[in-house]
Amino acid sequence: MSDALSKALRKKINRRRFLKGSAATVGGLYLGAQTLGSAHAQAKNIEFWSQPYGDSIAWKRLLDGLAKSFQEETDISPRTEIINWPNAGQTWLLAAQGGAHPDVGDMYWLHSNAGIGAGKNGPMPITEYKETYFPDLEERFFEGALVDVYWNGDFYGIPWRGDIRPQIVRTDFLAEAGFDRAPENWQEISEYAKALTVRDSSGNVTRWGFNFGFASNAVQQLMPYYWQAGGEFMSEDGKTATIDNDAMRETLTWMRDMVWIQQAVDPNFMEASASPLDDFVAGTLAMSGSIPDNNVRRFEAEFPEINGLWELEIPPMGPQNRAAYSGAGYWGLLYGTEKIEESLQWIQFLARDENMQTITEYTAGVSPNKHVMQSSFWKDRDWKIKITETLEFAHTSQYPSPAWATISAGEPGGIVYDLMFNVIVKQNDMNEAIATAQARMQAELDKV
Amino acid sequence: MVAPALIVSLLLGIYPVLDTFRMSLLQYDLLRIAKDGTPFVGVQNYLEVLKNPQFIQAFVNTILFTLIAVTVVTTLGLIVSQLLNLEFRGRGIVRVIAMIPWFIPPVVASMIWLWMFQTDRSPINQVLRETGLISSNIQFLTDTRSFAFFSIPMIAVSIVRVWGGLPFVSLFLLAGLQALPKDIYEAAKIDGAGQLQRFFLITLPLLRPVLGILLILLTLGGLGHFDINYVMTKGGPQGLTNLLSILSYQQAFIFFRFDLASAVSTLIVLLTAPLAIYYIVNQVKDQS
Repeated sequence: MSDALSKALRKKINRRRFLKGSAATVGGLYLGAQTLGSAHAQAKNIEFWSQPYGDSIAWKRLLDGLAKSFQEETDISPRTEIINWPNAGQTWLLAAQGGAHPDVGDMYWLHSNAGIGAGKNGPMPITEYKETYFPDLEERFFEGALVDVYWNGDFYGIPWRGDIRPQIVRTDFLAEAGFDRAPENWQEISEYAKALTVRDSSGNVTRWGFNFGFASNAVQQLMPYYWQAGGEFMSEDGKTATIDNDAMRETLTWMRDMVWIQQAVDPNFMEASASPLDDFVAGTLAMSGSIPDNNVRRFEAEFPEINGLWELEIPPMGPQNRAAYSGAGYWGLLYGTEKIEESLQWIQFLARDENMQTITEYTAGVSPNKHVMQSSFWKDRDWKIKITETLEFAHTSQYPSPAWATISAGEPGGIVYDLMFNVIVKQNDMNEAIATAQARMQAELDKV
Repeated sequence: MVAPALIVSLLLGIYPVLDTFRMSLLQYDLLRIAKDGTPFVGVQNYLEVLKNPQFIQAFVNTILFTLIAVTVVTTLGLIVSQLLNLEFRGRGIVRVIAMIPWFIPPVVASMIWLWMFQTDRSPINQVLRETGLISSNIQFLTDTRSFAFFSIPMIAVSIVRVWGGLPFVSLFLLAGLQALPKDIYEAAKIDGAGQLQRFFLITLPLLRPVLGILLILLTLGGLGHFDINYVMTKGGPQGLTNLLSILSYQQAFIFFRFDLASAVSTLIVLLTAPLAIYYIVNQVKDQS
């Protein structure tokens, strides 16, 4: 290089300019790298929304721990967000209408939300990926739980939590009244309940003998008895209402008599202020025909004062059969996700036996996974054994119509709720009430 | 300067109201959208709502609830604010204690009162029984009997509303009382006016502007009230505590009928709008 050129260059590229230029280059490279890195990281991030089970913080910690292990294996990072239960139904409803949604959700009400989403929003079928990601589903999961993850012939996800409801009795009260076992059938429930109801000298009830179920949704209290009487709410294709029948009459008659003839059930059992769990713990309720298993696991932890004073039993025999209320929550994908493969891998990871075992040991909730339910964890207490036995009588609470959520709504205005209220509480004409409910239900089913 | 506030008001206040009105003119049933879409149906939703006996009951309940809550809380607020305005030792502590219900979120307060009103375990019933005032438990939230227009559950939820609202009303009126000139009272005292005369002839007339605003705010709150009734009774028993806002919520989120819910909500807006406009006009007048 000639001296003249060197001088000219030195003049042009002075120190300040050099620094400026270097800074700009480094900055540009850094930003470029960041953008690329962020795009890469974004491709590897998936959003996962879950309701809390037990303590929210502890649940999030458990999921974050699983996510960390998953990330180490796959380099995919699931970001968990906890949705509180009071907002959960609305959150998934909004997602089904095209609102904000994650890639993967811990969902329920599949039939309603899939129906509302109509193949555009909300729950996304993953039938085409089933063989690749979940080839042995039928061997590994209870059949009853798998029913809840199919809609219109499509497969939507992995059932991961169950809700099974056995009977519960206060053994101390039963012993006082001379009973050494839980009631076996409707007739025995009536006899036991009458004997166990206690009133003071002014006629105030100090202990109710029986309660139809602990569920705050009164319709869920009716369901197992209707099934036990041999009824079903609609036809298998979800098109025809089937509640105007003898099974419904028999069920409602028995329930009404328990309230008004035996006077062993609180007539206010359908009200929002009813609190059977508190009544049971306080000793003002002796038996219930149906208790969600998540209520049971609270007893040991939160109410040690009644340890040894209660036991679970399989559901009673109705006029036709035994049946216990059962439901399942599932992990599934949502329309709009662009990370289908990553999301499926995350669900596949969560659905491993060892991870489902970790989850069931944390929640102490029923798992739809057979291997988990056969583990020693589910055999170390009498109540756990009874819950496992009750699974044999599980009857899904889902029906194949998007309208089922509104039909079974546990609030005034709900079709089955109004039917129960009119017949059991107000003692109105049963045939007329059933005919009205049948017509209303058919109109709802015809909407879809 | 006012642009941010205006934008927020438009986005969070005006737009939802207008969109709700738009939805009330459509068939917006979530179960039907996939099949039928959301066709324009004019005033059909309003006609359906107005024909619904549940709406009529909820409308009457909303008016009754507002009437009870506003009347009782204002009367009690006047008394409590007078007491809190007196000069006595420990006044500061008493004022703080009187404000406690205000610190408790309505849902938490509802759960506490739910326990207080639980028929079989109610401490209120226990006290009443032990003092011999009652022999049978009062079913605060489930008795369907009515006295005049007022059912027991409606009275019970109104009590909770009054309990929760009393601190705000008392504080509002206390501020008003403290702004009143003291010399008028001294002159009245010299003229021989008694306490009741001073209250009715001086305090009440001078508090009228404050009371006017307070009554408007309480009425607006009452007509749109939701939380306590929903948590404690879900509108039951037999719809005796059901309010328009609960009916709207149930239609939308329980029965997926956003069209009927929007119609009910628009009717609530029509009920509250005259009061709100009157309030705003008065505020503007005062400022100018």
